[in-house]
Amino acid sequence: MKFVENQKADDTLDLVCRMCPLHLLEPGDRLNCLKKGQVLEVLTDYDGALEDIPNWCEKCGQDFIGIEEDDDCYKLYIRKAK
Amino acid sequence: MKTVYMDHAAATPVPKQVIDAMLPYFDEHFGNPSTVYDMGSKVKHVIDEQRAKVAELIGAKAEEIVFTSSGAEANNLAVKGAALANRKKGNHIIISAIEHHSVLNSARFLERNDFEVTFLQVDEHGLVDPERLAHAIRPETILVSIMHANNEIGTIEPIPELSAICREREVIFHTDAVATVGNLPVDVNKLNVDLLSLSGPSLGAPKGIGALYFKRNLRLMPLIHGGIQESGRRAGTENVPAIVGLGTAAELAAEQLTHKVEKVQGLRNRLVQGVQDRIEQVIHTGHPVKRLPGHASFCIEAIEGESLIFMLSQKGIYANTGSACASKALKTSPVLVAIGIPPGFVQGSVVFTLSESNTVEEVDYVLEQLPLVVDRLRSLSPVWETRTAA
Amino acid sequence: MYSEKVMEHFSDPKNAGTIENADGVGEVGNPVCGDMMTFYIKVNDDRLTDVKFKTFGCVAAIAVSSMVSEMAKNKTLSEAKSITKKAVAEALDGLPKEKMHCSNLGAKALAEAIDDYERKRSGEPPPAPKPSKKKGAKRHVTCSHCQERNPITAKFCMSCGEKIGD
Repeated sequence: MKFVENQKADDTLDLVCRMCPLHLLEPGDRLNCLKKGQVLEVLTDYDGALEDIPNWCEKCGQDFIGIEEDDDCYKLYIRKAK
Repeated sequence: MKTVYMDHAAATPVPKQVIDAMLPYFDEHFGNPSTVYDMGSKVKHVIDEQRAKVAELIGAKAEEIVFTSSGAEANNLAVKGAALANRKKGNHIIISAIEHHSVLNSARFLERNDFEVTFLQVDEHGLVDPERLAHAIRPETILVSIMHANNEIGTIEPIPELSAICREREVIFHTDAVATVGNLPVDVNKLNVDLLSLSGPSLGAPKGIGALYFKRNLRLMPLIHGGIQESGRRAGTENVPAIVGLGTAAELAAEQLTHKVEKVQGLRNRLVQGVQDRIEQVIHTGHPVKRLPGHASFCIEAIEGESLIFMLSQKGIYANTGSACASKALKTSPVLVAIGIPPGFVQGSVVFTLSESNTVEEVDYVLEQLPLVVDRLRSLSPVWETRTAA
Repeated sequence: MYSEKVMEHFSDPKNAGTIENADGVGEVGNPVCGDMMTFYIKVNDDRLTDVKFKTFGCVAAIAVSSMVSEMAKNKTLSEAKSITKKAVAEALDGLPKEKMHCSNLGAKALAEAIDDYERKRSGEPPPAPKPSKKKGAKRHVTCSHCQERNPITAKFCMSCGEKIGD
């Protein structure tokens, strides 16, 4: 698990309180609205996301940057690669 | 016998246009929107189109709308969903003392689950004082819920002033707009709210559908967990025909709103003036001016509401009441108690809610029959006899 | 919701009115709680020769009053006293569950009228009015700012938000 700090993001997707499988469906839609190279911050309180999102990034050819743990959620960072 | 229906807040006929729009989604386009093949995805697309129509009616964006089964469910999702999702920021909620039971009981449920609730009192017209709200907000306050208008007394609350206070103090503001969407112009930006509930039956959509507007990025704890419907905010296979009904009704409501407001206001004013001229000892409840355009509510001394409603229905006139006996719980209307209606009047509640289908002739028929019914009931009443003998 | 019999008695109540110089008057309920019935009786040779009523209340309350007055008229005092709420409800072909209390009220109002007659006849003084129960006085606390009552466990006023006891 790769941890990061103070990662800047171009957009935030707040999935806190919303459950599986939204964490695998919505990032894709939101990334479509970003330009290549831009970073999406995904907020989630779902533990399964810690494994699911990096795996999803690998499958879909997106760059998974890392995770930061906040007070009430996890923050996962994805850079749009394609 | 003539039928004069004046209880449109309880139920109103669904226009043919809405029914026609809904029908194909029962047998022709019956696909489940969550399926991957085109029969499903086409229906999903239709749902999104309806979402956009509902959003347009209230000045919102399509992605800010969640479909629910009713206005009551939308209220539950707003109050419980926002409170539970923001629990870490605080545990104090403020609602008015005259909210609909779906807001009141959601707040009471939260009270039993580690939240504190303040029930803001209202004035004799049912208005919430913005200063009183400002005074009640504490550092732990996370949510305020004040209805846009009250269906029992018709009063419209000063939402922009109330929400501005909450915006300044960074408190989430919800309004139950079940009584106003479709009856008044409603714009979530002008009202400056974070959450707004609406109900299908109030705008000519079928029963069993409602919606919640939520400001983008507002966290909500879903109440119904499950699959991916409504982006995980409200699971369950979508009621496609009802959603189509709501979208179509929303479109019609937007087109007809100005004309509707003008017409029902005129009829309502005629009714109110006529009642006040013909019946003594009657209180026109709610604010005289800041009220729903087609809404006329009265408390009549020395008679009981259920009897009044039944007697009127025997003359073909359909209205509603907020008196103790009529409500199966046998409690005096908390709204009428909250606005200080005196004991001799509080049981004699009658509420007329008009629509553009009502006519001047119908209003005049009510004005002819209502005094006769009131006189009949007063002749049976020991309380009236005592009062007039005094 | 209501049987045909109930609607008949509601639409055309029998014996509505008052009796001048009634031999007995019985009053139950109050307008605040939603039902109030006053029964007037005329008694001759221990028989109710006339019964009249005035009722403030719902459909069931008016129908019950009408039915009770019909059932009691021309009965002996003891026959009238034994009219039960069950008998009244049955005579009306049933009442919804939540309206059964109206049938109780009707039987009670008649019984009070008979009691009043019997007291007058024996020269007894009328009963003193019952003192109002101060229910739950210890279970509430008053806000010193806006005077609203709050549950005793409240730390902040439910109406104005001020701290209780400040």
